Amino acid sequence: MKITSPKVSRRSLLRGSAAAAAASLAHARQVSAQNAPEESAFEAWIDLRLTVNGQAHALTVEPRVTLLDALRERMQLTGTKKGCNRGECGACTVLMDGRRVNSCLVLAASAEGRKITTIEGLADGDTPHPVQRAFAEADAFQCGFCTSGQIMSAMACIEEGHTGSPEEIREWMSGNLCRCSAYPQITAAVAAAAEELG
Amino acid sequence: MLFHRPETLENAIGIMQAGPVRPLAGGTDLYPGLRDGPPPAALIDLSRIAGLRGITREDGGWRIGATTTWTDIVRADLPALFDGLRAAAREVGSVQIQNAGTVAGNICNASPAADGVPALLTLDAEVSLAGPGGSRRLPLGDFITGVRRTALGEGEIVTALHVPDAPGGRGAFVKLGARRYLVISIAMVSAVVIPAQDGTIGEARIAVGACSAVARRLPGLEAALAGCAPEGIATVVAAADLSALTPIDDVRGSAGYRLDAVREILGRVIVAALGREG
Ligand SMILES: Cc1cc2nc3c(=O)[nH]c(=O)nc-3n(C[C@H](O)[C@H](O)[C@H](O)COP(=O)(O)OP(=O)(O)OC[C@H]3O[C@@H](n4cnc5c(N)ncnc54)[C@H](O)[C@@H]3O)c2cc1C
Ligand code: FES
Ligand code: FES
Repeated sequence: MKITSPKVSRRSLLRGSAAAAAASLAHARQVSAQNAPEESAFEAWIDLRLTVNGQAHALTVEPRVTLLDALRERMQLTGTKKGCNRGECGACTVLMDGRRVNSCLVLAASAEGRKITTIEGLADGDTPHPVQRAFAEADAFQCGFCTSGQIMSAMACIEEGHTGSPEEIREWMSGNLCRCSAYPQITAAVAAAAEELG
Repeated sequence: MLFHRPETLENAIGIMQAGPVRPLAGGTDLYPGLRDGPPPAALIDLSRIAGLRGITREDGGWRIGATTTWTDIVRADLPALFDGLRAAAREVGSVQIQNAGTVAGNICNASPAADGVPALLTLDAEVSLAGPGGSRRLPLGDFITGVRRTALGEGEIVTALHVPDAPGGRGAFVKLGARRYLVISIAMVSAVVIPAQDGTIGEARIAVGACSAVARRLPGLEAALAGCAPEGIATVVAAADLSALTPIDDVRGSAGYRLDAVREILGRVIVAALGREG
């Protein structure tokens, strides 16, 4: 790994540890043995510190790992779901610095230094967050696969103040799909939670 | 893959110069694409460069920083001239996409269906670029050169868009999709109308997207609308020559349907931009 420009500051370039780089080279060799394109991007791994639900996590990942995969596979925070893995379903919604984003479209490395909140960060011990309770009370799910994304999106929707009417809730929750079509109950849950949190 | 995270524009340009390296802003276009092929050798995350984000007043107009997100546009306190761009921002993907996706990412990706482009064309937007050879500025219409093609040179990045003032101007935008969110446009129209004293159209700027390789202005229709009274708009639009548009047949709609739809939404958008209920 070489950088020639004198203008490149060391801090702006993320380098992996030697051991990690060696491991990744072994991986690269394995990949090229399978005739993968030469440029396979295994030059470096990155040491990251991510702040998730107020806790710091240290991890070493390839640069192309998404926040979603880092959460699920490296931090064992599997409450965040992978539906489409391309921004279309909202199952992977988390809050980044308070704003809802699809964690499947954020690189873990880009999330460093940001405040990440996932579904695991909402409850207070055994007491569910009011939004979680509202979803349970309104029966706002069937299979439950979309639910953590719906709840994270609802957290932001309420915070943004887009809960004035069922129509407004539906519109501002439209980045979250529910294949079981629990939409009426989801809308009712968001309305109830918004009222309680008022 | 190398991953760069500069915090200043100077550093970013130095990294681009040492390239080849692919810019990454919100990642909402780039990241889904990455899954379909080998990743680029190096990525440069532009989202930490404070000077690239945000909307500011500048001499004779407005500056929209490259990494300004669609949500930033929705929330900004902007005059009615920007109503079309604001409406487009609200329909890019979903709130989650709008929170990450950026204005420059939309124009650099250069999709024929990029929702921001028609509105920015009617705002007479110009694009500022910076690279190893210095800075330059060109009209948006010259920046996007084809399907997924732009005038970006080796090592260049977009730093900002510039929108000149147009006193009294009001924008409007309508996107036709299979549903309102998370859909690719079938057709879209944006307009800016600057009314004359007597309530007729002083100046009209019209752009159509998703009906040609690159969204385009309709100068013939714009000229025909100048001086037009509100009651006359429907006749002018009905007679408009739309042969500059070259829509395709695809799963979302046939070419014929797209042209019919464009004519319909043209009328609605122009009336809305004039500040009358359609
Ligand atoms: C589910 C989903 C729905 C979507 N819906 C819509 C929609 O309805 N309408 C629509 O128009 N788009 C839509 N998009 C596309 C996308 O969200 C937008 O085009 C967005 O504005 C892209 O911005 P970004 O910052 O995420 O770009 P990125 O993905 O970060 O970058 C896009 C391209 O631009 C380049 N680039 C980015 N910034 C710069 C810069 N400053 N200088 C030089 N090059 C740069 C990148 O290298 C890349 O090639 C959707 C995407 C998804 C995943
Ligand atoms: S998994 Fe991220 S939006 Fe579907
Ligand atoms: S509850 Fe099954 S997808 Fe929503």
